[in-house]
Amino acid sequence: MTITKSQLSLSRETRKKMVPYLLIAPVVIYYSMFWLFPVINAVSESFKNVDGVWTFSNYIHIFKDPVFYTALSNTAFLVIFSVTIEFLLAFGLALLINKKFKGSSIFLFLAMIPMALPAVAVGAMWSSGLATRGWLNSFLMTFGFIDDASKFLFLAGGKMSTLWLIIIIDAWTVIPFVMIILLAGLQGIGEDVREAGAIFGGTKFQILRKITIPMLKPTITTAMILRIISAIQIWLIIVMLFGFNRLPVLLEQVVLNYDQLGAEYFERIGLALSVLVAIIVSAAAILYLKVSGSFEKEEKENG
Amino acid sequence: MATLELVDLAKRFSKKVWGVKKMDLEVNEKEFIVLLGPSGCGKTTTMRMIAGLEEVTRGTILLDGNDITDIPSRNRGISMVFQNYAIWPHMSVYENIAFSLKLKKMPAAEIKQRVQETADMVKIGELLKRLPGQLSGGQQQRVALARALAVRPRLFLMDEPLSNLDAKLRVIMRTELKAIHQKTEATSIFVTHDQSEAMSMADRIVIMKDGVIVQIGTPDDVYFRSANMFVAGFIGTPPSNFFTVKCIYNNDKIALEHSQFTLDLDPKGFEELKEYNGKEIVIGARPEDLLVVPDSEAVFTEEILVVEPQGSHQVVALNLSETIVKMIVSAEAKVKPGDNIGLNFNRKRLHFFNKETEDRIHLKNEVE
Ligand SMILES: Nc1ncnc2c1ncn2[C@@H]1O[C@H](COP(=O)(O)OP(=O)(O)O)[C@@H](O)[C@H]1O
Ligand SMILES: [Mg+2]
Repeated sequence: MTITKSQLSLSRETRKKMVPYLLIAPVVIYYSMFWLFPVINAVSESFKNVDGVWTFSNYIHIFKDPVFYTALSNTAFLVIFSVTIEFLLAFGLALLINKKFKGSSIFLFLAMIPMALPAVAVGAMWSSGLATRGWLNSFLMTFGFIDDASKFLFLAGGKMSTLWLIIIIDAWTVIPFVMIILLAGLQGIGEDVREAGAIFGGTKFQILRKITIPMLKPTITTAMILRIISAIQIWLIIVMLFGFNRLPVLLEQVVLNYDQLGAEYFERIGLALSVLVAIIVSAAAILYLKVSGSFEKEEKENG
Repeated sequence: MATLELVDLAKRFSKKVWGVKKMDLEVNEKEFIVLLGPSGCGKTTTMRMIAGLEEVTRGTILLDGNDITDIPSRNRGISMVFQNYAIWPHMSVYENIAFSLKLKKMPAAEIKQRVQETADMVKIGELLKRLPGQLSGGQQQRVALARALAVRPRLFLMDEPLSNLDAKLRVIMRTELKAIHQKTEATSIFVTHDQSEAMSMADRIVIMKDGVIVQIGTPDDVYFRSANMFVAGFIGTPPSNFFTVKCIYNNDKIALEHSQFTLDLDPKGFEELKEYNGKEIVIGARPEDLLVVPDSEAVFTEEILVVEPQGSHQVVALNLSETIVKMIVSAEAKVKPGDNIGLNFNRKRLHFFNKETEDRIHLKNEVE
């Protein structure tokens, strides 16, 4: 009996199905080597004490520390308000620029400047600006809005005003980013579906609500997830403006414990904290996808 | 059902670019008007101005005698089928068709009935629950059509609605659209660059070129009484053949002298050519108005270059002094490349054009 070639080799169909896996294999291997191992290492180290004995003590320390809860609530506040504000303003700007008025491309260019600045530069800029003798007060004085006696003490406010200051700075930095993503999405939708909306009786607002936003949803989801993830990780700007422990947030506490306190005991606390941050980030992302109904859609399409 | 009137309508996009230079048009109640012209002649721009999607630079749009030039699209009582359908991908077929009815706050039961009725009319009654992504191009086209019909518009606009369909479906949809129009009697404006589509569907055809109208008329008007050489060359497949001739007018005989032949005419019925005596004019001859005749009766003889069988007839191409001349012969005629055939003209059906202006030279007793 002879064995045909097709019996020996995989069927054409099976081979075709394997192609995507083969294509992502290098990425998977790269990630396992340079990302998965360090992560597993960090996670396991977070469950050991200084003597290398397995323990929950690092986590117990964190959960007993009131600063952790302050950091958690501060972070939550920042995320909710900064992401909401950023989204609304960025969406408004994207809609405006999408109208292609005269000079819209110059406006787009100007709007992108904050995005081009590294976080440290943003921090430096605002900390020098907001200082009592900073450029913002000088600017206001030059134009006579305030006098020497009524200078704003931007950085000396209570918790609420410091939180809002961070939200404003964060919004200033990332609105262009969100706007670009939304603008790309808007330009992908095409004018004609909106024009059809106008012809078939829709007002501007109805078109926005029933056509533009639903069609933009995949883009909105992407933008929101990216923003939620990075908003949970705000820390550098806070440290540059207020130093450590003045306005505790999650990642700032990670850096503080892991890097600043200079004892192995705290390093391990920092590791445990970073594991918690990772869990919170994933949970927030999944929660958002659930609430926005993105999973359902995928099921509907596959089903 | 309504009348539409465009008065001195124009659209300028920028200093040098005019979308439409000047449009004057009256559309009667229940009429099916086709805007026909080559790409870039301003058909879409005209439609968009009527629909309110484009601001006009100059002129007025009257619907039922009311000036709607500055009224927003949604209040014009107009509906439109877009070239690439523009149906909403996130809404089911049902929701697409019901969209405008819901915005009009029509009672739910009535909406349901109207949607079903309209969907049945365009044969997508079974597909109401589907999303557009799950439909073929032809079905999407029908959704766009149903959405536009459901409104019971005063004016129904279609911008090249069939151009994305394959050739066979396109011909089927022509017939269906015409049947739908006879049923709904909605005043309609249909845009196309396909002259055979225009001929087969229109009550009247509006032929445009470079942002202006060159002729308005019934399919017979534009075919048998083309207003100028552009129309004669644009309408019909194959298009008209043109021959530049010198007109020698005598009271007992007209001689039209071409470099390759001389065509004699009896002056009776061609008196208008008198003023062109001694001048050059252009003869336009439709492919079916060139006749194969025995050599003794021929105006000229020429060798056949190629034969294109079409089933119902054959197209024969000749090379007459470096210009291709195309004519139609019956399916039975025994013709093959290389044959020499004698040709004559169906004189009553010839078109004559002024060589300078390219406009038609009108004769008193033109064929009706
Ligand atoms: N939005 C626009 N901006 C600038 N020029 C345009 C615009 N739309 C159309 N045009 C120009 O106007 C002319 C007519 O276009 P259009 O009405 O689309 O032609 P058609 O539909 O007959 O192919 C073309 O020369 C085209 O380039
Ligand atoms: Mg067009």
